[in-house]
Amino acid sequence: MVFSSVVFLFRFLPLFMILYFAAPGRMKNVVLLLGSLFFYAWGEPVYVLLMLFSTLSDYLHGLAIGACRRKGTARIFLVSSLLINLGVLGFFKYANFLIGTVNALGGWSVPLLDLHLPIGISFYTFQTMSYTIDCYRGEARVQRNLLDFAVYVTMFPQLIAGPIVKYRDVQDQLRVRKPDILEIAQGCRRFVAGLAKKVLLANQFGLLWESVKETPSGDLTVLGAWLGIAAFALQIYFDFSGYSDMAIGLGRILGFRFPENFRYPYVSRSVTEFWRRWHISLGSWFREYVYIPLGGNRRGLPRQIFNILLVWMLTGIWHGAGWNFLIWGLWFALWLILEKVFLGKLLERLPAVFGRVYTLAAVLVSWVFFSLEGTGRILGYLGAMFGAGSAGLAGREAVFALRENFLLLAVGAVAATPLAGSLARRMEGAGSGWGIALCRVLEKLILAGLLLASVVYIVEASYNPFLYFRF
Amino acid sequence: MDLLEERRNAAVTVFFLFGILLVLTAADLIGGERLFSEAENRILAQKPVWNTGQVLAGEYAQAYEEYAADQFVGREKWVSLKSLMDLAQQKKEIGGVYLGRGGYLIEQHLPRNYPARLEDQKLALLELLTERYPQTLVMLVPTADNVLEKRMPAFAPYYDQEAFLERVRNLVGEKRYVDVLGILREHAGEEIYYRTDHHWTTLGALYAYQELMGHTGGRAGRYDPGELAAVSESFRGTLYSRLPVFDRQDEIRILPGTQAYPVEITYDFGKKAQSCYEDKYLSAKNQYGYFLDDSHSFVEIDTGYHTGKTLFVIKDSYANTLIPLLVPEYSRIYVLDPRYFFGELFEFMDHYQERSGEMDVLVLYNCIHFLEDFRYYPQIYELTGEGAGAQARAEGGNP
Repeated sequence: MVFSSVVFLFRFLPLFMILYFAAPGRMKNVVLLLGSLFFYAWGEPVYVLLMLFSTLSDYLHGLAIGACRRKGTARIFLVSSLLINLGVLGFFKYANFLIGTVNALGGWSVPLLDLHLPIGISFYTFQTMSYTIDCYRGEARVQRNLLDFAVYVTMFPQLIAGPIVKYRDVQDQLRVRKPDILEIAQGCRRFVAGLAKKVLLANQFGLLWESVKETPSGDLTVLGAWLGIAAFALQIYFDFSGYSDMAIGLGRILGFRFPENFRYPYVSRSVTEFWRRWHISLGSWFREYVYIPLGGNRRGLPRQIFNILLVWMLTGIWHGAGWNFLIWGLWFALWLILEKVFLGKLLERLPAVFGRVYTLAAVLVSWVFFSLEGTGRILGYLGAMFGAGSAGLAGREAVFALRENFLLLAVGAVAATPLAGSLARRMEGAGSGWGIALCRVLEKLILAGLLLASVVYIVEASYNPFLYFRF
Repeated sequence: MDLLEERRNAAVTVFFLFGILLVLTAADLIGGERLFSEAENRILAQKPVWNTGQVLAGEYAQAYEEYAADQFVGREKWVSLKSLMDLAQQKKEIGGVYLGRGGYLIEQHLPRNYPARLEDQKLALLELLTERYPQTLVMLVPTADNVLEKRMPAFAPYYDQEAFLERVRNLVGEKRYVDVLGILREHAGEEIYYRTDHHWTTLGALYAYQELMGHTGGRAGRYDPGELAAVSESFRGTLYSRLPVFDRQDEIRILPGTQAYPVEITYDFGKKAQSCYEDKYLSAKNQYGYFLDDSHSFVEIDTGYHTGKTLFVIKDSYANTLIPLLVPEYSRIYVLDPRYFFGELFEFMDHYQERSGEMDVLVLYNCIHFLEDFRYYPQIYELTGEGAGAQARAEGGNP
């Protein structure tokens, strides 16, 4: 089930919230678990069993690690947990990719497996791995209550599109949550904002991108190509960060604090900074469980370069089992390494605008690798962006599309910066008496307007994709 | 105190937002279900039946989501709000319809949807037809986006039908090609297309008639545009339906003289009529159906004019406006719409040719309908040798 649907907003959510807040104390987790299983089974009626298997497996591994900590055999159970998690992920997500590659290289014809990727599998396996690893390291307490642990793994707000919540960040909230009206209100605001980002902005940018994507490479003008990839950049940002906002908002309504996942990545002044602002929960997972254990930057430059290459290759194929995602990761690794070696220092000395333009250019090019498949398509598109195509600088379609979407692009560009947020905070802080009262009324009207406008676009439902089915 | 007030404010926000959700949910649950949406002109999804196999395959959930969205309370109001929101964004194209100047709604046809491959397929079918019936005339009418240049929004892209028509002309030759692009562009400032519908008007058809008579040797000066008179002032066409936020209406005008033509019409071998015009449509939604009773697979028109000439028209809905003007030129007019005809075309045509002697053949479409809908089964060949190739070529035109 996706958040931006009639079924979620007008069936699941009202019913779930009524049951959840009506349930007393410990029963809340029962409601949350059952609700989450229904939510997941709605879209994955069979693979819900796989998720339950994962849950049970890591619950038992956690217990075993806790029991053996002093005996030194805990490591065996950690390795077994990782093997099972990575095995499941590898089988469902990468097996066909490997078979395809082997076939292509060896000229064989090993048949592909008849599988589809279970939604959210990359998110929940990374979550459960954080649990067993942290138990082993002694950074998380072993969870003895299966219900609480199952709630952690299956919780519907962040289940299918993140953020990736580390176990230790919510371990206390799994047991004790005090409903607080201030938190619930913040959660509502966040959810509505996220819904609007997804439905009103991301989907519209998606339409623009789709129309450019359908244009054959030969007919693509320079303007059209840049407009298209900028539209995709805004689509994936508002879609993904909108989903995260909705997840964080729902979490707060339920009494959880999830980590932030996006901090206005497109204002970054370097690629390094971009990755501190983009999909933060994934970046910090890889940093904590791969990059630093490999030595991070403490074992000399060559080792650090190797670590960056490895982590960003993994980051790439985490987003999908395909060569284009691997190249996407390596593209970032390239710029990260250059920034480590000399570019970072250079950028610091130059005016901010250089860093911003360079970062945006690097990121926009990266989205070509991310959003298109096939060497021909990717090279054709990049060629069009840099004027190597035959269609010229601009054509009717591109100029018209720019004109049609001018307002949307302007709104999107502003909304991708911290401007609106800081303006709201300033208004909140400055007013007194009538000013505050006005702000409070205005806030409700804006939220209601965004919610209703989102419903308009959801009901009309001409275009409402789910972008994370390959994650 | 301050905190208390803040908590109160938070509570109002929460109850306000949840209130909206709950009210809409309740209204949706109470609201009835509909089979058909007049405004969207489509059948709405119905509640899926519980079936374990489909549930496990995830198909049930998918069907249920479609059902929930289609049957959502006040769906049509939400959908028209969507158009208003697009308008507020200063869009000039909404749902494939251009908001042209001067109140014109113009259907959008993007170049990428009409690739050379599709042109090739249709031209191959046309070639087969003109080889078999060398007397065939071909009139492909450009759509409004290619003619009303000044009405189009600035820079609005369109599939260039001029280039396609050039291919048609080269294929069938000057003698068989009836050029209407030129004359329609000449008269682009006049009411040759409806503002709310994708069809041309009687005036547009009249200019095309004049061009056609240049090829058949008929009386080109038979009609005077000054005689056009309105039979309806409340026509809201297909483009209006797709974008119902503009309350605009068109006039349907006809040449009154054509109403009096003596005709005996047989629709689909059954229903008879004594006029090319059906008044009952003028009080319904689909007023364009006034011309030749909307869509039929086969129409036979016996005119009261003993010219001894017969015409066989292979056509789309554009032809319905033009055919009434042709009545005095022919003793008999056969009208075939291949969208609803699944027999062997050549055998069918030969049958009527035997009955009436040598007949004129006219292929009359607008360019878009021609590319999308022109298809036929030429003949069932033995599936060997040359015939199989020709059949495969022809069937290539039936996507």
